[in-house]
This record gives sequence, structure tokens and C-alpha cells, in this order.
Amino acid sequence: MNRQTGGEFWRFPLDERRKSESLRRIRQEGENKQIRQCPSLAANILSQLRFQTWKYWTVQGAILLAAMALVLYLGNKGADGEEAIAVCAVFLVFAGNISLSGLGRLFSRNMAELEQTLYLNLKQMVCIQMLFGGVADLLVLGIVVGIAGGQNDAGTGAYLLYMLVPFLWSDTLYLYMLTAFHSLQQGYRQLTAGIVCGILALFPMFLEDAYEAVYLPVWGALAAAGCVLLAAEVFHMLGKIERGEGLCLN
Amino acid sequence: MPELIMDRVTKQFKNKIAVDKVSLHLKEGVYGFLGANGAGKTTLLRMLCGVLRPTSGDIFCNGVPIRVLDGEYRCMLGYLPQDFGYYPDFTAKRYLEYLAACKAVPKEISREKVQEVLELVGLKNAQKQKIRTFSGGMIRRLGIAQALLNEPEILILDEPTSGLDPKERIRFRNIISALSKSRIVILSTHIVSDVEFIADHILLMKDGSIIEQGSPRDVTESVKGRVWEYLADETEAQRLNASFAVSNLRNEGDRIYLRLVSDTCPCEGAVPAQPGLEDVYMYYFEEASDNVGNLERRII
Repeated sequence: MNRQTGGEFWRFPLDERRKSESLRRIRQEGENKQIRQCPSLAANILSQLRFQTWKYWTVQGAILLAAMALVLYLGNKGADGEEAIAVCAVFLVFAGNISLSGLGRLFSRNMAELEQTLYLNLKQMVCIQMLFGGVADLLVLGIVVGIAGGQNDAGTGAYLLYMLVPFLWSDTLYLYMLTAFHSLQQGYRQLTAGIVCGILALFPMFLEDAYEAVYLPVWGALAAAGCVLLAAEVFHMLGKIERGEGLCLN
Repeated sequence: MPELIMDRVTKQFKNKIAVDKVSLHLKEGVYGFLGANGAGKTTLLRMLCGVLRPTSGDIFCNGVPIRVLDGEYRCMLGYLPQDFGYYPDFTAKRYLEYLAACKAVPKEISREKVQEVLELVGLKNAQKQKIRTFSGGMIRRLGIAQALLNEPEILILDEPTSGLDPKERIRFRNIISALSKSRIVILSTHIVSDVEFIADHILLMKDGSIIEQGSPRDVTESVKGRVWEYLADETEAQRLNASFAVSNLRNEGDRIYLRLVSDTCPCEGAVPAQPGLEDVYMYYFEEASDNVGNLERRII
């Protein structure tokens, strides 16, 4: 013990080793008691994957198998005309619609308002679900365009455009419906979007020469417009979530 | 300990001002928002939760705007919306584990926490049932459970007891009272007894503004001398009921007991009574003319 001159108190020499050990234990206890953390993006993605329903995985698996079966069937049948393009386009529209079902679930059953108040909030969940949907769509698109497109007279590039146009426009419509008709039951919303877009995807078949090479610039312009519209709709939807007015039922 | 400040917060939907320049300073304790439907309570709570963005004004938590705190603020928050959302295909346990993950509750403790809140709200035995099989009261209790998952420092409950039976309501009140230490609990309701027993501070909302606030005693005192009791015959009771706010009415033999809320003595023979919170509610929110139909029905 040291006596400090001038001051009327005793100073005990500190055992630095014991002090740091005690502080370490206090910190450890504090960390053990911590009820919250800041999970990384990867951890958030994994947690969203973990809580997808078995129905979701079954449906995604079924779509992939159906895509394989469809292109194999068309290949075996030698169907390389406009009908084959239209069938694949309608299939992709439905596949795109279904792959976004995880997104629709977030807006179903009044969940949106509650989800917006969570650490991983609705806006972030929407982005993660769009990522899942995008990956699933790319797989299906890859199968359809990669296999069926190679066999088609139009060529892979043109075939990709024929698939992309209805696909992009239908996704735009579905995203719009998510926030515009959020009170509508998820199944009805999805079915309505699917039917409307499916019919629209068949429409070019009724136009003479719509799939001719001469109209490729038109398809290109429509695809570009679809990309722009889809991006605009995503920003519009995220903005709507941020403002919150579209999330609450009353 | 959190501190919430609302600084002249306004929310306007097209031409309707739902919340009008509300300024509040909330510290530890239970705050009960009372008001009729459409008073702006839910809009105010939604802004406090960050679901809705104020048209003007700002909300601060510990001196920092909540929009700046963002995820950090949501980590502190537990919210039970009026229209509570759930996934019907999920079991109660899975649903709570899902929300715990979204609330950033570490995986190692989330299972334990889920069991703790299920026990607290009396749903432990139903944890493996799908939510679609739950009754309205069970769903509401599940809602309360999810709000508590992350041990929130700010707990916001919008109409928490709607759909609960009296026993569940008492149980809920006890849970809230037990939880009110070291946190801000904000309740919105039009059920007076919900806040009467547990709120440290009562805020009366009307047309988007806070018209009265204070401790239950202060708020009750604000109508002292304005509550009257009177035994009337049927004709007189009908006349009084049409002219004054009536907070209680019952048949007593061939006469009718009336508890009236009025600035002045409603009639000769009426005696002043000790006011309660229901009288306060009647004084501020009830339109006297609304009672005519009620009286006729009750007398018949």
C-alpha cells in the first residue's frame, strides 16, 4: 500500500493480471447475456432460406423438373415453330410468377406491417426473396433457352428475347399487384396475375409473323422497356414499403 | 434506459390529418393511449414503430431520430399491431423461431426464449399446433408473445386485449405490469379497464391531438365535480339521457340509477360522485345524443 502525500487516502496497488482477467470475465458474461446481435447479410439470407415452407421447395423443384420435361418433350417431338415458343413463353411466365410466391407470402395475412418493424425488415426481406426468385428464374430460363432455344429455328439469341419479353412484363405486373392489392389473398393475387400474363404471353402467336426476324428490333425494344419497367416497379415497391402507407390495412 | 421524444409529429393522409402536431416525452413506464375509433392512436403508434413516416416533425430515441437509428431502433422494439399478421401454416413454435431470427435474436438463445414467451402467454401446450387451428384469443396471445421475443426496451401494443376473455385480459395486464420496469410500454385501447389498472400515464387522444394527459389520478381529477348520481323515473331518465353523457345506468326497482357526466348539476337532487376513468372517457369522447338508443334498449 502506498501512502500518497498531500492527499488523505490510501492507494492500493492494482494487480493488472487479475484486473484484466476480471474485466474479460465481465465482458464474457455480458456477451453471453446479449439478446441481440447484428447478423450478416449471409446469415439473414440463410435464415430466410431456413424458414421457407416445404411447399415452396416442392413447387420450385417441380418447376425445374417440369422445365426439363417440357424441353425434352419439345425436342423429341421436333416442335421448333411458333407454337413451341408460345408454350415455353407461357411456361416461363407461370414459373416466374410462382418463383415470386415467397415474396407474396411476405405481404399476405397482414404480415407486412409487423415485418416492417423487425430488425430484418420487410424491405430487406423483399430484396432477399427477389434474389431467391431471380436465381430460380435464371435456372428455368437457362434450361428453356439453353436447350429448347438451341433447337429452335429462330436461334438462341432471338429465342431468349421471345422468352424475356413476357417474363419481364409479367413480373412487373405481379410486383405491382403485390402492393396495389395487398389485401387480396395471396393465392388469388397470384392466380390472377398468372392468368392475365399467361394470356398476354400467348398474344404474339395470334399476330402474323410476330416471331419473324424482321421484328426482332421490336422484341428488343419491348425487352428493354420491360427491364426499365421492372426496375422502376422494384424501386416503386421499395419506396412504398419505406413510406408504409401501402402496408397497413386501415 | 430508452427515452422517446415526439417533436410536433403530424401525419396527413390526403386531406385528412390523422395526427396533428403531437409532442410527447416518454420515459420508463406504461403509457395508455385512450381514444375513440379514428382518434389517431394507431397512426401514432405506427409512426413510433417506424412503419409510417411522419408528414412533418420527428421522433427521437435517446436523442437520435429513429429513421437514423434504423435497424438499431428496431432491435429495441416489440410491436403488436392491431391487425396482427401470422402464417397459418406455421406452428406457433416455428412462427416464433422465425420472428426471433428476423429480430436478430441469436440462434443459441432463441429456442430458450421462444419457450419462455410461450410459457408466459400460456401457449406452451399448443406450440406444435398450426396457427390456423388457433382461436382468436390464442392468436392474440401469440401476438403478445412475439412482441416480447427480443426483450424489447420499447414495447408498443395496439389494442392488445381485443378478443381476449376476462381471465386472459387479467393475465395480460399482469404480464405487462411485470414487464414495465426499465422499459417504455405503450398501449393503445378504447377499453378503459385495460389502462386503468396498469398505466402510469394516460393520454387521451381525440381528432389526432392529445387533449389530456397525466397520471390516472390527475386525469380522473380533471373531471372532479362533473360526475353526478341520480335516481330518476323512466320519463326523466330518458330526458336526462338525451341531454347528458351517461356513464352508467341500471334499473333499481321501479326507478333508474343514472351516473351522469356534466359540467353543471344536471337536475335538482343529483349528487356529486367520485369520478372514475370511465367517467373521464365519457366526458371527453361521448356525445350525449348517442345514448338515446342505448337507454331505450336497456329499459325495455
